[in-house]
Amino acid sequence: MLRKAITAFGLGAVMGMALASPVLAADAPAEIKLGTLYASSGRYASISMPVHAGLKLWVEQKNAEGGVYVKAFDKKIPIKLVAYDDQSNTATASTLYNQLITQDKVDLFVADSGSVLTAPAVTIARDHKMFLFDQTGTGGSFFSKDNPYIALMSDPVSTIWPKPIADFLTKDGPALGIKRVAILYSTNEFTGTQANSLRKFIKDANAPIEIVYDQGVPTETTNYTVILNNIRAAKPDAVIHLGYAPNDIAFLRNVQDVGIKFNMLFCIYPGLETELLEKNVGAKGLQHVFTYVPPSEMAYPVNFGMNIADYKKAWDKKYADGKIEFGFNAVAGYTTALVIEKTLSVATSLDQMELRKAVFSLSGNLKTLDGTFALDETGGQIGELTPLGQLELNDHGHIKFVAIYPHEVATGKPVYPKP
Amino acid sequence: MPSFVRHMLLIVAPLMAAFAILPGVYDNHLLLFNFVIFLILAQGVNIIYGFTGYLPFGYVGFFGAGAYGFAIMVMHLQAPAPLAVLAAGVVGVLLGLLLTPLLRLSGAYFAIANLAAALAVLHFVANPALESITKGPYGVALNGTFNPTLAYIGAVIILALTLGFVVFLRNSSFGMALQAVREDAVSAAMAGVNVVKMRVIAWLVSALVAGLAGGVFAWYVSVFYPDNVFSSDFSIFAIVFALFGGVATIMGPIVGVIILYGIYNLIGFTTPQYFQLIYGVLIMALVLFLPAGLVSLATRRGWNVP
Repeated sequence: MLRKAITAFGLGAVMGMALASPVLAADAPAEIKLGTLYASSGRYASISMPVHAGLKLWVEQKNAEGGVYVKAFDKKIPIKLVAYDDQSNTATASTLYNQLITQDKVDLFVADSGSVLTAPAVTIARDHKMFLFDQTGTGGSFFSKDNPYIALMSDPVSTIWPKPIADFLTKDGPALGIKRVAILYSTNEFTGTQANSLRKFIKDANAPIEIVYDQGVPTETTNYTVILNNIRAAKPDAVIHLGYAPNDIAFLRNVQDVGIKFNMLFCIYPGLETELLEKNVGAKGLQHVFTYVPPSEMAYPVNFGMNIADYKKAWDKKYADGKIEFGFNAVAGYTTALVIEKTLSVATSLDQMELRKAVFSLSGNLKTLDGTFALDETGGQIGELTPLGQLELNDHGHIKFVAIYPHEVATGKPVYPKP
Repeated sequence: MPSFVRHMLLIVAPLMAAFAILPGVYDNHLLLFNFVIFLILAQGVNIIYGFTGYLPFGYVGFFGAGAYGFAIMVMHLQAPAPLAVLAAGVVGVLLGLLLTPLLRLSGAYFAIANLAAALAVLHFVANPALESITKGPYGVALNGTFNPTLAYIGAVIILALTLGFVVFLRNSSFGMALQAVREDAVSAAMAGVNVVKMRVIAWLVSALVAGLAGGVFAWYVSVFYPDNVFSSDFSIFAIVFALFGGVATIMGPIVGVIILYGIYNLIGFTTPQYFQLIYGVLIMALVLFLPAGLVSLATRRGWNVP
């Protein structure tokens, strides 16, 4: 009797497996559709194209290997990239996002770069119950407990980005003699939110730091001469300028033209778009400027995907013409791709909530060339923080990064006050 | 049959029927919604430019103000969305009233001053000092009112009302008087037309239309930044679509939006790499060969285009 039962069970199991395998194979799609947008022209092209190029590099690399491993079907499946050009136009972006979901029926929904072009995708993703792989849309308003259909992949959410600056000012600053801080920011979501957060972090720290100047100016500002004199009149020990690349270029040029020397000067883009800033401001103008240290300068240890050196090699090979700049955004696109790849290797189905679960399961465990991937409960990125650094000149007069804060990643001491 | 009724039955009613049916057969509802928005805006430009000759480069100012009017009503007064859309229209009219002195200018001076006014409104709304009211540059998230279906219906109703007004302009002495003012203000005044009153009414109706469109747009998208709703693309597209079809007609802006925005999306979906080339050539061809818009193909042959 027992033998019969075991035989029957064994036969059943074998038949079950025999039946199950073909079912899995039959259900497996011929390709995984990844839908995204990019801006080849317009205001956001300079940030969008490197991000998109990073994502595309990964797609081609994986397809050359036969596809990505998809746990839901236990096999490698090629990725089909469905990408439209929104030309930095948000109304066009809305239509195209909708096209990706309703007409192309993509499996994976990936936003364009930056908060302005990501904003339409947040609503559409939620409406269609699609999980949004938000690449670099760091806007704090995207993330809420009642919206499970989003997670930020490659940049820290704007509200925590300036934490290293605030920590440096409040913890190391007083000992260095930094007591008076000036904050100048461009009034847009990206830099305005950072200014708000910086202010809050400084106040919450209860350190002997006083904000002596706090002013927002339109993002289109190109002449800072009068503003610089106002800042100088406030006698700050540290000046924090939060603006986009064109703002930083104009600001740093004006600092040189006016001949003002601030003991500490922070700008965002000398770290993120170093080549562009060096071209427009000159190496001398960037010397001793404090900035964020991009992942391309940190060589984070990775447990998944290429490290920064290998990625740079692959990038140079694919984009040999040098038309798309390798930097912070190029790393962001590839980081998104790695999160997607790892997600597919963990998710047990392509159901959107299962994808979300898989993405969140990576939090704190996935270490890529962009640092440690970590999400808060709303999907905001709280890992991948960019350390505070300072630009110095090497022996050949070229710019080099010195990481200053946090201390555990520091590669040198700050030069303060500026000589 | 009076021409007003004929135009309503032969142009407005079929268009409304089409936009009522299309969501049932085509899934990309946002595309349809954008068609409706651009039809409203193109007709709004038609009202002010086609009938009075004032080219509003900063037309998006009313649209953005309407969107933020909607947002403020929802965020601070917890107003129901339809009421907030009406308030958006009121905000558009109030801004129009504020900018009425611009009508003292004409031609390129008016166009540039209007553009500057739109930028001023953008910077006012995006000012961090107003964060507690407008959320400044940090963006608005209106999750509570999010309802794309109702917002779409609202947009179609606004389009119907706008078209109704344009049909009225085409078939009334008021519209004729406006066109007379556009052609020669002095002669029109000599003939007893109250030039200032005519211009102000057309200007405010145009602002109302854009404000309502902005309100319903905010209702549909629900998450946006000042840059989203004050994007100059809205002005440029609305003006180009209206000119492409032909202004001072009912059909011109409709034809312009359907063809040009249709091609815009077709290229965007199929060959985005040639986008600027195809679109640029198309618009250059229009300017060179059909400066009075597509409807001029018919009017040149003596056909009457409504």
